[in-house]
Amino acid sequence: MVTERSLGDVLGTVPVAGVHPEVNWVRVEIEAPHLIPALRALMAHGWVFAGIVVEEDGERAPWRLTYLLGADRAPWVGVEIWVHEDALASVSSVLFAADWQEREAEDLYGIEFRGHPFPGDFALHEGSFPAFAPMRRSISPAPPPRPRPAPRIVDAPGGFTLPVGPVFSGVQESVQFLLETVGEEIIFAHVRLFYKFRAAEKTMEGRTPDDAILIAERVDGTAAFAHGLAFAQAVEALARARVPERARALRVLFAELERIRSHVAALTAILESTGLSVPASLLATQVERLLEISGEFTGHRYLMGLMTPGGLRADLSDADAGAVARRVRHGVEAVDEIYGRLTFDESFLDRLEAVGRVSPEEAATFGAVGPVARASNLSRDLRAAQPYSGYEGWRFDVPVEKEGDGYARWRVLMAEVHESARLLEQVAGALPPGPVRAGVPPTGGVALGFAEAPTGALVYWVRTDPAGQITRCRIITPGLANWHVFPTAVRSFAFQDLPIILATFGLSVADADR
Amino acid sequence: MSVFAAFLAVTAAAVAVLAVLPRERAVASSSVLGLVQAAALLLSAVDVFVRGPWSARLWPLAPWGVLRLGATPLSAFFLLVSGVVFFAVSAYARGYLKRYGRRYDPRVFSIVYHLLVASVALVVVTADVVSFLIAWEAMSVLSYLTVNFDHLDDRATRAGYIMLGASEVGFLLSVAALVPLAVAAHSIDFAVIARTAPRVVGPAARWAILLASFFGFGVKAGLLPSMSWLPRAHPVAPANASAVLSGVILNLGVYGIILVNAVLLPVTSIAAGLMVLAVGALTALIGILYAATENHLKRMLAHSSIENLGLITVAVGTALTFWAAHLPALAALAWIAALYHMLNHSTYKALLFLGAGAVDLSAEELDMDRLGGLGRRMPFTSLFMFAGTMAIAALPPFNGFVSEWLIIQSLLRGVVLVGFGVHVLFALSGVLVALTAGLAVTAFVKFYGMTFLGQSRSSAAEDAREVPPPLRVGMGLLAACALALGLAPTYVAAGLSGVAEPLTGVRGLARLVPPFFAPHRLSGGLRAAFHPLGAQLGLGILPPPGLVFLHQSASPAPHVVFAMSPGYFALAVAAVVGLTFLVVRVLGRARRRARVRPWQGGMEAAPPAMTYTATGLSNPIRVVFRAILTPTRPVDRERVVATHFPASISREVGDAYVVDRYVFLPIALLAMMAARVLARMHHGSINGYVAYAFLTLVAALVVVHFS
Amino acid sequence: MAWFARGLRQGVDAMDDDSRAPVSPGLSPGRPLPTPAGQMDDASLCPTGALEVRAGVTVPDYARCVQCLRCVRAGAPIRWEQSYRWAVSRTGALGPAFRRSIHVRVLDAGDCGACLAEVRQLTSPVYSLHRFGIFVTPTPRNADVLMVVGPVTRAMRTAMRETYAAMPEPRRVIATGTCALTGGVFAKSVAVEGAVSRVIPVDVEIPGCPPPPLAILHGLHLLMGREGPGRPDPR
Repeated sequence: MVTERSLGDVLGTVPVAGVHPEVNWVRVEIEAPHLIPALRALMAHGWVFAGIVVEEDGERAPWRLTYLLGADRAPWVGVEIWVHEDALASVSSVLFAADWQEREAEDLYGIEFRGHPFPGDFALHEGSFPAFAPMRRSISPAPPPRPRPAPRIVDAPGGFTLPVGPVFSGVQESVQFLLETVGEEIIFAHVRLFYKFRAAEKTMEGRTPDDAILIAERVDGTAAFAHGLAFAQAVEALARARVPERARALRVLFAELERIRSHVAALTAILESTGLSVPASLLATQVERLLEISGEFTGHRYLMGLMTPGGLRADLSDADAGAVARRVRHGVEAVDEIYGRLTFDESFLDRLEAVGRVSPEEAATFGAVGPVARASNLSRDLRAAQPYSGYEGWRFDVPVEKEGDGYARWRVLMAEVHESARLLEQVAGALPPGPVRAGVPPTGGVALGFAEAPTGALVYWVRTDPAGQITRCRIITPGLANWHVFPTAVRSFAFQDLPIILATFGLSVADADR
Repeated sequence: MSVFAAFLAVTAAAVAVLAVLPRERAVASSSVLGLVQAAALLLSAVDVFVRGPWSARLWPLAPWGVLRLGATPLSAFFLLVSGVVFFAVSAYARGYLKRYGRRYDPRVFSIVYHLLVASVALVVVTADVVSFLIAWEAMSVLSYLTVNFDHLDDRATRAGYIMLGASEVGFLLSVAALVPLAVAAHSIDFAVIARTAPRVVGPAARWAILLASFFGFGVKAGLLPSMSWLPRAHPVAPANASAVLSGVILNLGVYGIILVNAVLLPVTSIAAGLMVLAVGALTALIGILYAATENHLKRMLAHSSIENLGLITVAVGTALTFWAAHLPALAALAWIAALYHMLNHSTYKALLFLGAGAVDLSAEELDMDRLGGLGRRMPFTSLFMFAGTMAIAALPPFNGFVSEWLIIQSLLRGVVLVGFGVHVLFALSGVLVALTAGLAVTAFVKFYGMTFLGQSRSSAAEDAREVPPPLRVGMGLLAACALALGLAPTYVAAGLSGVAEPLTGVRGLARLVPPFFAPHRLSGGLRAAFHPLGAQLGLGILPPPGLVFLHQSASPAPHVVFAMSPGYFALAVAAVVGLTFLVVRVLGRARRRARVRPWQGGMEAAPPAMTYTATGLSNPIRVVFRAILTPTRPVDRERVVATHFPASISREVGDAYVVDRYVFLPIALLAMMAARVLARMHHGSINGYVAYAFLTLVAALVVVHFS
Repeated sequence: MAWFARGLRQGVDAMDDDSRAPVSPGLSPGRPLPTPAGQMDDASLCPTGALEVRAGVTVPDYARCVQCLRCVRAGAPIRWEQSYRWAVSRTGALGPAFRRSIHVRVLDAGDCGACLAEVRQLTSPVYSLHRFGIFVTPTPRNADVLMVVGPVTRAMRTAMRETYAAMPEPRRVIATGTCALTGGVFAKSVAVEGAVSRVIPVDVEIPGCPPPPLAILHGLHLLMGREGPGRPDPR
């Protein structure tokens, strides 16, 4: 356990204003000029950047920024600085993973990160918010509108930008790619997210957790249970509430069911992108079966409405749990049969092997999470690194591949489907008896809730007032981190590789845009 | 004769008038004088066709014969082609030359131009070795002066020197071909040489003369390996000089090759013909590859000229091969193809260069990556250039289609030759020509699309306006020619058949081009053979003859038929398009039409920076033919904020012209090495120099002793 | 080829569409029916305000219901219907020319991913959209129908207008899912415009959060004039 003292050792000579243990994280207060040394020191000891939480807090200064870092089996650390004006120094040159989060904060809060090379044109598009930064509470003084030219960094003879989207392809989420190219080859790809920006974080403010969880579940509908779980755990941590054992076990069961469905859907998308429609259709049928299992036993095909702070809103009988495990096993076997055949399909493998490569070093620099990180030899999994909801009590492995190419991601996804099925069977066979829901009294404070969503580490940062109403909720999603890596993966590949690489990343736009 | 004399008189008058005229009236006067001069040139060509060849003695040059002028159908053909180009260029120059008025004296250019017209005419009507070489050298120097007119620009000077240097090397080689001929025939008179030389020149000397003349005149024609001066010279030349260079001067290179190898000393070796064919095919392919990936309008047209001269050379090689194989009828077909293509290339390439000049004048930009959208701003130029593009891409009903079809047809006739190697070479050349034709379409889709369609990719292109009327007249004349030559090939081919007749002694038309839709001239067997094809349908309605090529067999019914008629094709297309338009108008009257923006993936409007550039469009070709076009991989330089955090990426693409890379660079390197070795010998030691002198003396003694 | 054979061996997975029997919760989450109000304050049970008590009857507003099941799980005597014929047509069908086949452009206007996943599921062999002559097209130029999912975000307003403008007439718009009908749980968000009908005219509304594939299919059939308008079942 890291104490005030040992964290002091980690930070070494960095002058620290105070180290305060919070419910499930440690708050390190620091003067703004010492931010970069502090972050450097933490990173040198194995902490990994997770996200920036911007709060408009009139308490001591207009802005409070918390740089959140996580580690393997060590407490989460939030480095807190207070900023007195609408500007502060950028840390992106040291902590590249913060690049996009700084740009997001810059657009949404109207604060400037000095020294960042690409200001503007990140979260706000086509004059969607002409007059004000949408997340800001105090509108005056209104930040001056920034000129927002389309990003262009490539200078090549005859180079141009090929825009793709925001409306493109068949059934596809809205996102825009600006591919800088001289034709065929992608020299650099800009991803323009936030077309789907719904301001979920701001909409949750001023609501009770019971209300807000409806929004949390709909940040990413295909990972609704993971989002609900992370949010609920944050609220439970705030209130120091104990969740009944049965609910904890069932949460694992449903989370793994969701992971299996999400991964099989990702495998389907990869097959579709490579044009193999027969196996794609066969897998799509299995996705439908998994959705039907979810709907039949929980009332909702996407497991919404089930999660609540304190437990679950509905129980699943032991017999039903057995039935779920049995039917899922059936589905996974069907998927595995197709997967096995594809392993010998040369034309399929040609399109995945050595395509969209992310080196371990790149994955680490960008702060990649989830299957993308694990396919690049980074064993990052919150279920193992920061066990929650009783994951420490179940046996499972974290599959890791070394190559970091599309094929490695394909294999990681399938291996994880097997691991999840294994977990699901263990849990279904050993459900503890008892209730599934406990009361959670309204409490004020700040806490973290985190879960390993199908696409990677998901963190909710929730601050409440004493009446238990949410005053700030920061959602750090796996999508935001992995979309950041994506341009690196497509560099120097051809246009026609783009959809394939995109599919192997299994990214959700809704999850990144929030 | 008298007409040609009148032409020379007009030239002299033009030069005299311009020498005394005030500077500001020079451009307009020169334009008018140029029109008269070109008209006289055209008349002198017509004169030959109507009244027959003529010959005139200048003065005797004992004992070698007489200096002589003389016009044959072949020289009349070259006079005609040059006259057409000069006529259009003279009209065009009036609006164009004003742009140089501030820096240069237009009178200088005009005088040089009129002299150049005369020297070109003299090159093809001189009938002896000495006056030919003098006219040739005059033409070379004068064309260098027009190209290098913008001599205050360093690039122009440099390109001009390379052009002049290449030209002189070519000249020396042609001297090396012509002088031995004169020596062998004991006469400088072409007529005497043509009579005597074939009997007295041995096989080895024949080869030497062929190689020297082919590669010597090949420099002027831009043939492998000496073509890299062309893409350098064109971009710096004024547009009218470019048009003359590509439309007239390059043809003279081919004239030289024909003169030596088909008139003075007709080739008797099949291998010689095949070599010409192979060089032509390779030249065409290299030319079009560079044209397809080049984005500078004029440089691209220069590469395309190389391609077209390559195609002409393919036809020349085919003709020589057939002639050597004693197949005069097929040789006549190939000659018709070669001459037809030369005529076509001169019209459409001059047109395209004039159009590029119009773009340059109006947008002051020649980089296709920075042009675009000129179609709406320059409607006339755009229309004429569309005609030129269709013609050069060999699409009917324009003229390029007819001659490329003829070239490929005459190549296909190679099946009648004997020998495996010959078949392979003909087949390979056919493949290369077909590939060239295909690439030409992609190249000129890019040319027209990137310049005239889409959005303007720079403010210069955005501010472009239509050019003044004289320029439009010049371009319009050539566009009309391109269309006419494409619509009425039967008449053109008949005329060319007459030009080719002295070369082969056979009327190719009679044997190979029976007038299809004129049944009274068709033999009974053929009429029966064509009946099932619906030939009788057109008989009554369409009186003028169409064009058909047959592979004639001994029997009255031909085994294989290759037929083509762009005239009827154009009629059919016009009918179909017109009918479609009418039907759509009638049926669509009740429909409401909506005008909407182009679909941009949900964006309101994509900025010009987000549209395809010429580079992007041609990139697939660049990738496929990487080995030839860009041997070095592009180098990306990143400026980074931190690791993996690029702030900018700049790409450098290295390229070296393929011929320079494999032919001239090694030579240059060898020369440098030799120079370095020589430099090392200059070590400054007296003893060493004495040793050199001694060794040289010994060597000289040895040589003298054993020889 | 091997895959072709493998596909044939699989047999037909497609669901029989003609069954009018109630479906299992695996296929549709179902929805509340108007119910005589109980002792509990039914309206306050609903976190999205979809329940309203009028004259002693608890009336559900399907355009707001997000299928969270809180009313049922809290023990309110709400009748729950296992149905999927939820689509409501606001204007007429497309006309006889489109009875056999239509092309649909799917537009994500800010969807959480669930509605889009259900639309994607329609193309799986289980629902086999193509057998009804319905095709998803990438370009609005070929589209007869614009299917919008998700609340309309501010950034997607322009894109949606552009997409609609790019479609040839006759054209129809299907608002799919609660978010597209009212903004759903994001109705109050500063970044969300709300209902699709605020930006472009809507012809068919398909409620549900997310509407199951069968409900979406029902909406498409309605547009093609193959089905009567859906009504709340009087059971």
